[in-house]
Amino acid sequence: MNYALKASALALTLGLATTASPAWADFWSDAGAKFKGVTLHGVTESTPPSNYIRNVLAPEFEKKTGIKVDIETTSWDQMYDKAIKDMEAKTGIYDMVYIEQDIIYSYLARNFLVDITKTLKEQPDLKAPTYDDANFTSFADYFKDSSGDLFGVPMEAFLKAYLYRKDLFDDPKIKEAFKKETGKDLKPATTHAEYTEIADFFTKYGKDNGMELWGTTAQAHTGHPASWYEFFESIAPTFGVYNWGIDAKNNYAATVEHGGAMNGDKAKAALKYWLHLRDIAPPESTQSTWTETATTFAAGRVAQGLIYGENAAWIASDPAQSKVVGQVGFALPPLEPGVLDDAKAGKGYIGYYDGGAFGVPVTSKNKEASLLFLEFIGQNEVQPDWAIAAPRITNKATFDDPKVKEMDVKLGGFYTMLKDDGKLFAGAPPYPFHAQVREATAPIFYDILTGNIGPDEGLDQMAGKAEEELTSLGYRK
Amino acid sequence: MHSQKLGWLLLSPTIVILGLFGIFPFIYVLWVSFHSWNPFAANPGMVFNWAENYRRLVFDPQFLASLGITLTFVFFAVVSELVLGYILAQALLKDFPGKAVFRTIHTLPLIMAPIIVGSVWKLMTTPSIGIIPYLLRSWFGYDLNIGQSAVAAFTVTVIMDIWHWTPLVTLSLIAALVSLPSDPFEQAQIDGAGKSQIFWHITLPLIRPALLATVFIRLMDALRTVDEVLMLTGGGPGSSTRYIGVHIFREVFPKTNYGYGSAISVIVLYLTIVVCWLLYVGLIAPRVKRG
Repeated sequence: MNYALKASALALTLGLATTASPAWADFWSDAGAKFKGVTLHGVTESTPPSNYIRNVLAPEFEKKTGIKVDIETTSWDQMYDKAIKDMEAKTGIYDMVYIEQDIIYSYLARNFLVDITKTLKEQPDLKAPTYDDANFTSFADYFKDSSGDLFGVPMEAFLKAYLYRKDLFDDPKIKEAFKKETGKDLKPATTHAEYTEIADFFTKYGKDNGMELWGTTAQAHTGHPASWYEFFESIAPTFGVYNWGIDAKNNYAATVEHGGAMNGDKAKAALKYWLHLRDIAPPESTQSTWTETATTFAAGRVAQGLIYGENAAWIASDPAQSKVVGQVGFALPPLEPGVLDDAKAGKGYIGYYDGGAFGVPVTSKNKEASLLFLEFIGQNEVQPDWAIAAPRITNKATFDDPKVKEMDVKLGGFYTMLKDDGKLFAGAPPYPFHAQVREATAPIFYDILTGNIGPDEGLDQMAGKAEEELTSLGYRK
Repeated sequence: MHSQKLGWLLLSPTIVILGLFGIFPFIYVLWVSFHSWNPFAANPGMVFNWAENYRRLVFDPQFLASLGITLTFVFFAVVSELVLGYILAQALLKDFPGKAVFRTIHTLPLIMAPIIVGSVWKLMTTPSIGIIPYLLRSWFGYDLNIGQSAVAAFTVTVIMDIWHWTPLVTLSLIAALVSLPSDPFEQAQIDGAGKSQIFWHITLPLIRPALLATVFIRLMDALRTVDEVLMLTGGGPGSSTRYIGVHIFREVFPKTNYGYGSAISVIVLYLTIVVCWLLYVGLIAPRVKRG
């Protein structure tokens, strides 16, 4: 009797458990049933968040749905090349493409992408109960069209923040030397003048003491777009030059003569400030792209720098790759007066909010199965572990997860900054001609970096070239 | 008649492959080169614009500069590879201890993908971590920074190309040298000819066809160098290593300027054919005629 009661109770418990707890798991197996045997092909840039998708989320999705996911991780150039050619030629090789924040407007202009919001509304059977657009942070706004429909599920988002070495900034001997030299207390800079002063001090300090130490990083490659981006996305905005100095509302004017700001006084001051930093940065800076500045910082070769947040986790917490574990402080980039007020008022921004999403090309042969996968990676449930493995947060709930909070402490408050100050940063301007203007003006920019053209004259030429390119593309009338 | 039919039958797979992957793409590129076409323009469609892209080429300072530095690069790289390849081929014909190991090591660069070669050389030349700047600084007090110095960047790209492709020249010339008849050399020695005379009057004329075939191959490859240089310098500093292949890559892929990029590609193909034809007419054809 007692045995029968126990067995019944156990059966009841098991029954309840199987019907209640994995309700969402059933959705995946049911939804995936009709796509059994399908293999989805995706292409993305090889970054920690993308690698997590390939190595962890794709196998999990396959286990739950039976849909195989083959994610190709490649270089930034190759990723664009492959995705654009596939969508342009309508070959339908890829079912999912990585959409970097700066290319989304070009893709939307060409109607390359499936409208996720609309499709899920029209096909409610595809809608996972655990997926909701409303869970995303404001970063998802960059992947919406003017009517608010979503075209990409955000999968990585990070700020380009000001990183400094706490061990150096807190060292009593260094603090005293800084005070003696400048008459000021050593603390993270809030203005460009302060940043330059600190950078100059540390470069000199390193030289005087025979140390491999410099005052700042500089993403100043003389033949790679990374340097162009550092200037237009990270430096110029801190001087109040937004959207590359191109005024979309004024017939895409770039030159001061026509109402643009690409060659304005603020842009010229910003460039001279940055060129000085480049000159006192480590020698590898002229070959540094977004990754190499992080490597330089992690190697303990600089006291401070602007670093892409995708590298924050390993710099701050991985002793196998970083010599400055536990010593990394995060702060907002140094600014000119008025820029922070602009950002708070929504009229400007103080730095780059970088990241990307996964979208489905309209040419995909497996749109519905691809949308299922996008919903899968967009759920709150998969976010915390992903945020630990790669420092990215795209869903609001992720911030409150205990594991993520613990990681935030290790990262010196990087996630808190993302949560509290993310709104002060901005992604790329909504231009459909992103790469075209960059490539047209970049050779002149590289000539400025080598000293073949002066910064003032160079920016004048770049603004003129930008307008010429926009006219040739038919955007500027 | 029967054998002719069989011949065509056997050739047909090659003709189909050549048509699909050689002739059709070429005709397509030629067709695109007469259009204005940028998928991200306000009007993304293809618009026939006669020879506007070709007219633009003639006045494009960036294209002309790219062409100039490419020809300089090709000259230094190919000449150095020929000289070095010949010396190594002669050396490898002789027996010396460790010859097999040396020959294997010498041939290794050939099997490396250009993108890997570019990555390895980038690592070796990065100022803070690269072995080359470290050694140059330790031995000669010279700070190598290919991100700053145009001359240094150009020189490193030439050296990288020599390192990568000299083994090909060596292997071709070994094959040519071992197949030479011994009679002319013995006769020359009996007549008292010196080493230099034997080289200029016997060896060189006899290996001329193999040498020119190698030159053609290297010339064509060097004219379209892209991946190695893109990885090493990105075309910089400034535009100092923006060789024509890199220039085309930038125009066609990131800038998606398909029409203009196609026109440059057609012109580069035309120039390659002209250079090879000039070499053939100048060095091979007269001998064939005399023969």
